Amino acid sequence: MMAGAPILEAQGLTKRYGGLIANNDVRMTLAPGEIRGLIGPNGAGKTTFVNLLTGLETPDAGSVRLDGTDITGLLPHRIAAQGLVRTFQVSRVFANLTVRENLLVPFLAAGSPGGVREGQDRAAELLDLSTLTPLADELAGVLSGGQRMLLQACAGFMIPAVRVYVLDEPFAGINPVVKDTLIALIQGENVGKGRAFLIVSHEMEIVRRLCPLVTVMIQGRVAAEGTLDEVARRPEVIAAYLGRAAA
Amino acid sequence: MIFSTELLIQTVISGLMVGVLYALMALGITFIYSIVKTINWAMGEFYMIGSYIQFVAVHFLLGPRWWWLAALISMAGTFLIGLLLEPILIKPMYSRPMQRRDDYATVVTIALLLLLRSLAVALGGPYQYRPESDLSVIWIGPLPQEGARVAASVCALLALAAFWIVIKKTWIGLALRAAAQNRIAVQTSGVDVYRLDAVAFAIGVALAGLAGALLAPLFMVFPTNGAVTSVKGFEIIVIGGLGSIPGALIGGLLLGLVESLGAAFISSPYQNVYGFLLVILILIVKPNGLFGERGREA
Amino acid sequence: MDSLDTHASTTAEWRSLGTQREDHVMQRRELFGGVLAAALIALGSLPAKAQDPIVFGVITPLSPPGETGLGQLAKRGAEIGVEYINEQGGILGRKVQLSIQDSAGKNEQAVAAYRRLVSSEKAVAVFGFIHSGANIAVNEVAKEMGVPTMGTQTGATDVTAKHYDIAFRTHAVDPPRAGTWLGWIKKNNWKRVSIIAETTDYGIGLAKETEKQNKEKNLGLEIQTIMFDRTTTDLLPQLLQVKAFKPDAIVNIGVGQPLDLMITQAHTVGLLPATPMVTSYDAPARPQFWQLHGEKGVGVSFVAFYSPKSELSDLGKEFAKRYQAKFSEPPVYAALNSFANAIVFAEAIKKAGTTEPKAMIKALEEGSFGGWSTVPVTFPRAEGVLWHNWSPPMMILRYTAKDQTPATAEAAYAQ
Repeated sequence: MMAGAPILEAQGLTKRYGGLIANNDVRMTLAPGEIRGLIGPNGAGKTTFVNLLTGLETPDAGSVRLDGTDITGLLPHRIAAQGLVRTFQVSRVFANLTVRENLLVPFLAAGSPGGVREGQDRAAELLDLSTLTPLADELAGVLSGGQRMLLQACAGFMIPAVRVYVLDEPFAGINPVVKDTLIALIQGENVGKGRAFLIVSHEMEIVRRLCPLVTVMIQGRVAAEGTLDEVARRPEVIAAYLGRAAA
Repeated sequence: MIFSTELLIQTVISGLMVGVLYALMALGITFIYSIVKTINWAMGEFYMIGSYIQFVAVHFLLGPRWWWLAALISMAGTFLIGLLLEPILIKPMYSRPMQRRDDYATVVTIALLLLLRSLAVALGGPYQYRPESDLSVIWIGPLPQEGARVAASVCALLALAAFWIVIKKTWIGLALRAAAQNRIAVQTSGVDVYRLDAVAFAIGVALAGLAGALLAPLFMVFPTNGAVTSVKGFEIIVIGGLGSIPGALIGGLLLGLVESLGAAFISSPYQNVYGFLLVILILIVKPNGLFGERGREA
Repeated sequence: MDSLDTHASTTAEWRSLGTQREDHVMQRRELFGGVLAAALIALGSLPAKAQDPIVFGVITPLSPPGETGLGQLAKRGAEIGVEYINEQGGILGRKVQLSIQDSAGKNEQAVAAYRRLVSSEKAVAVFGFIHSGANIAVNEVAKEMGVPTMGTQTGATDVTAKHYDIAFRTHAVDPPRAGTWLGWIKKNNWKRVSIIAETTDYGIGLAKETEKQNKEKNLGLEIQTIMFDRTTTDLLPQLLQVKAFKPDAIVNIGVGQPLDLMITQAHTVGLLPATPMVTSYDAPARPQFWQLHGEKGVGVSFVAFYSPKSELSDLGKEFAKRYQAKFSEPPVYAALNSFANAIVFAEAIKKAGTTEPKAMIKALEEGSFGGWSTVPVTFPRAEGVLWHNWSPPMMILRYTAKDQTPATAEAAYAQ
């Protein structure tokens, strides 16, 4: 199904917290330009998996390869610089900086030869796409939850090297207009620049629209992979979600 | 107690001038805290290092005319020492799994304080030194001031302005402001937060080193000369609020004024008490300091 | 063999007693421990062997905030003193050994040093004190522990005024010192005097004594007294008050850094060089003075207890020779006094024939000793502050040109 070498390859990722195994032998490959959904009930280990991919935590076992290069155990800023970027479920914008400055931080960190000027241009472009231009010189602290999520997503696109973008629950609790803006942004970057996405979400409608394939995690393991409709028919998936619903 | 308008003006000016230098010290402490989330208890020892470099540079190498160049060298010297020490001493607090980070940092910086003091005694002996100053007395309105003190205050103001420009206008300043808000997000933005820590630590101690260099002709150079000034710095942090840059500036000026006015018009033996009274008052009225916020971190 | 039998029988007894066995073991152990402890105590209290050195303790400020300059001088003097005593064959056939402790000018650190000297180093005499507070605090402990102390350059009244048996001193006390600058002021016909003093035992004592003598001797001076905290970094507020008072003379009662700060800032506000300033002790006699103050040191006067013009005893001359050879500079008062302290203690032990404290104290009280000056050193059980006290002759010297030394300074006043 997937032609060519994978852009992202996680092998046997395992992470324990005391007696709890948060991730158990998790494996996943992402093709260049793919938009993958990552779903699963709460506590399935999705965020841990994202943290292991992006270097916020170190796996007890397993490896992560980005475009063939081993990035396991690298510091988060190195992983970001190599093109594996993420957002957080609870948005971590820099509330004491302006919206525009928030975008410049990742751009300048990457040390692009174009310098501030190119960064300003790119920021202006993203502000337009995300409809945040009127707020560009406000402090990010004044933004609504949805606007913060948009800003956070845009900040990731400011890193010129982005090849894989992991979005952790980008659609949770934001209004439909902002949702559409964000979806358009993701699709634009995907089609225009060939960037791959891994989207952790509970919003099945959006996952169905955006992601040809989804990976299901249950209790720290990968339980299924396929189209959303395929995996939704799997008994263990149904059981996991029903179990969650029952609880 | 003698009172006159002239004396009041003189006392206010004198308080503000010393306040600017206190502010420099407090700014260093608060700035390091806002990035590295650690109080550097050895701040006074970097003041001390700055004063020794100033003495050596002025007395042996450059002569009193080049005091400003010596001050720049002192600042650069303490900056470099900070840049070298931070990765060894403070970084393990973040780069290794650790149960009690704050305790670690407290112990490490206090150990550093003792080490640096002993080193000063070992290298320079327990003596007092003073870099020569050929600046003549300057009259500010009705107030005569040591040229060196005026120069120190002016340079402190320049340093505060330079600090402001670096923080507001440069890329490293932007990254530092971002890191003050959220260490993790700045990392996932591709910024090497450990390098940023080292730079922040170095900038903070360089401010102390500069204060030490500027005050050396007045308060002299000896192994524990940083102790009093760093205590003032910590008082200001309580007054202005930990992690607040405007708090450090306003708090510094306020402390300078209160001490100077108290000593002149209430009773002079209790000069150090007025500052503490102010601290206690602030703790009662505004426990987080004038500009402090509860829970700055997201 | 007897004991073995007993042992066997007790062992058998234990077997039969079963549960009580533990108690017996305990008793045996306690007994053994007790004997051991008693033996150790006995060993400790045995008279020291003849070849064991006699230990002299020095407690002096060698690190800030102490007056480290004087501390160094006290250390030098004591070292030369002990070297001299040992060259003369030691005391009672025993060598003398010096144990130098840093007080950093802090009372609690000095007290800890005294306890260490007496209990673990077996010192029989302790001197070298520079800070009055430290000396007074140590005396409170010394009056219990018994080993005599000697204030080398401590001026406060309470060092000797409490009339403790163990407290001795060879330094100018408040009354003659205040009398010295009051004499200087009177000689010059000055009327208005500012006293700027630190809030320590030393500063408060001297400020009060000056005011007291002004009243008692009907000198009719108008005195402004300003006190300041010794950790202060800015004396400008105080000096502005002084300037507004328009004094004819200023008495600088700071010790260490504040003394120097006051000279610097008095220049700033324009009090110096026009208004005469006397410092309460001989800090300006040190060679560093000119490094610290340069041109601004000209015009400063200071109370001195020794000038190279002063007449020395033979012992004093011997010391001056050795000091000059060792440090290539003429000796200063604190060093002379510390040297003499060591000699006086050594003579007292010889006279008493023992290092037992009570006998030493008696010898000190009754004897007359040769010091560095031609005035013999005695420690009478006199009234008030003069108890167990020997005061050196005092004078006021004034610098009239840069890089002067006490030898070339102008003699502004002598008692």
